[in-house]
Amino acid sequence: MPSRLQQYCFFSFTVLLTLGLPVEAFAHGVDENTRTFLQQNTGIQIIPFLYIGAKHMATGYDHLLFLVGVLFFLYRSRDVLLYVSMFTLGHSLTLLFGVISDIQVNAYLIDAIIGLSVIYKGFDNLGGFTQLLGKSPNAKLAVLIFGLFHGFGLATKLQEFQLPEEGLIVNLIAFNMGVELGQFTALAFILLAINFWRKHPSFTQFATSTNGLLMSAGFMLMGYQLTGYFMS
Amino acid sequence: MKQQTIALTKAGLFKYTLASMLFAVITLLTIILPAEYNIDPTGIGQTLGLTIFHNVKAEKTTSLVSDKVSENASDKVKWAVKKIEIMVPALSGVEYKFTMQQHKKLSYQWSTNGLALYFDLHGEPEGETTGYFESYAIATVKGMEGSFTTPFSGVHGWYWKNTSNAPVIVQLTVKGEFEKHGLE
Repeated sequence: MPSRLQQYCFFSFTVLLTLGLPVEAFAHGVDENTRTFLQQNTGIQIIPFLYIGAKHMATGYDHLLFLVGVLFFLYRSRDVLLYVSMFTLGHSLTLLFGVISDIQVNAYLIDAIIGLSVIYKGFDNLGGFTQLLGKSPNAKLAVLIFGLFHGFGLATKLQEFQLPEEGLIVNLIAFNMGVELGQFTALAFILLAINFWRKHPSFTQFATSTNGLLMSAGFMLMGYQLTGYFMS
Repeated sequence: MKQQTIALTKAGLFKYTLASMLFAVITLLTIILPAEYNIDPTGIGQTLGLTIFHNVKAEKTTSLVSDKVSENASDKVKWAVKKIEIMVPALSGVEYKFTMQQHKKLSYQWSTNGLALYFDLHGEPEGETTGYFESYAIATVKGMEGSFTTPFSGVHGWYWKNTSNAPVIVQLTVKGEFEKHGLE
């Protein structure tokens, strides 16, 4: 039984973390400075592309929500690694394929699908699929599929800038590696927080409402992006 | 793989799903949609002041250019002092032009952070399509101060070329009468 002090410490830690989150966190967007860079860059620029990739992942709140959902009941490092690899695989495939073969998908629809992935994971964590279908859908496959969509979304965003052909492949690979770096950074923080919380009775107590809220956030993301789609 | 999950009854599951949807819809209608798209079916967004983002016409400036302005007239053509920061990317060139009437004077001062840049200060007459331009000054220097008087109406300004492997920032200050200015 953790002491009251521990509980209090954890609570303030969470609040601080929330307050400290970047105000300009953006979901899959590209901010002004990055935009300028992308439009003017020439040739191979490994470190800048690495950085944009990492920043995209570490500050995209929709992606972070999905990660919270995936990691909520996962704690063995083997499982975590497996999931991350599945996502990476899907993501890399469509990002490279999308940019190289000039495929553009509507960004609002992609972001709505990412919202859907958050709903799916929240519902799954609540035991919804087990209750309704008798079993949970293959989680690894689901992560792979959402990874594929995510990659298409990014490919579309990057193509808006008409990236110069020169050094394109190397830049894309650097971007993709940055995405992994950012993902690992975000993962480390989320795992740390969730694993800490898991040891406390409040975890079980609030597991249901947390996943309910996660679903709700997913619905908000979807509503927000779909409205954007119909308005554009 | 064994995964711990929450086991809710069907009724409980239904309750949680419905509640999460309801909460999402309320938040969307009262907060997110008014703020993001100016869609405010309940009027609550207006009451909360969230539609304010759409009341002001946001003036979008490119991030390449940050300027501090002191203007003393509100006409289309105005005398103004402007400080402009222009980023010339590595191994490329940038044009920054001012739209000016004939016989107007522009005083300028520009400098880089130490690196010499090739520049061509020139003007293109209004409606010119053949690519004709008149150069006022060409050199490779770290900075320059001076003024020019426009021989014709059109766009007048600088072409800077950066042959180094790192971006160079040009700090430009201008004084004079011009309509528009920006990168080309």
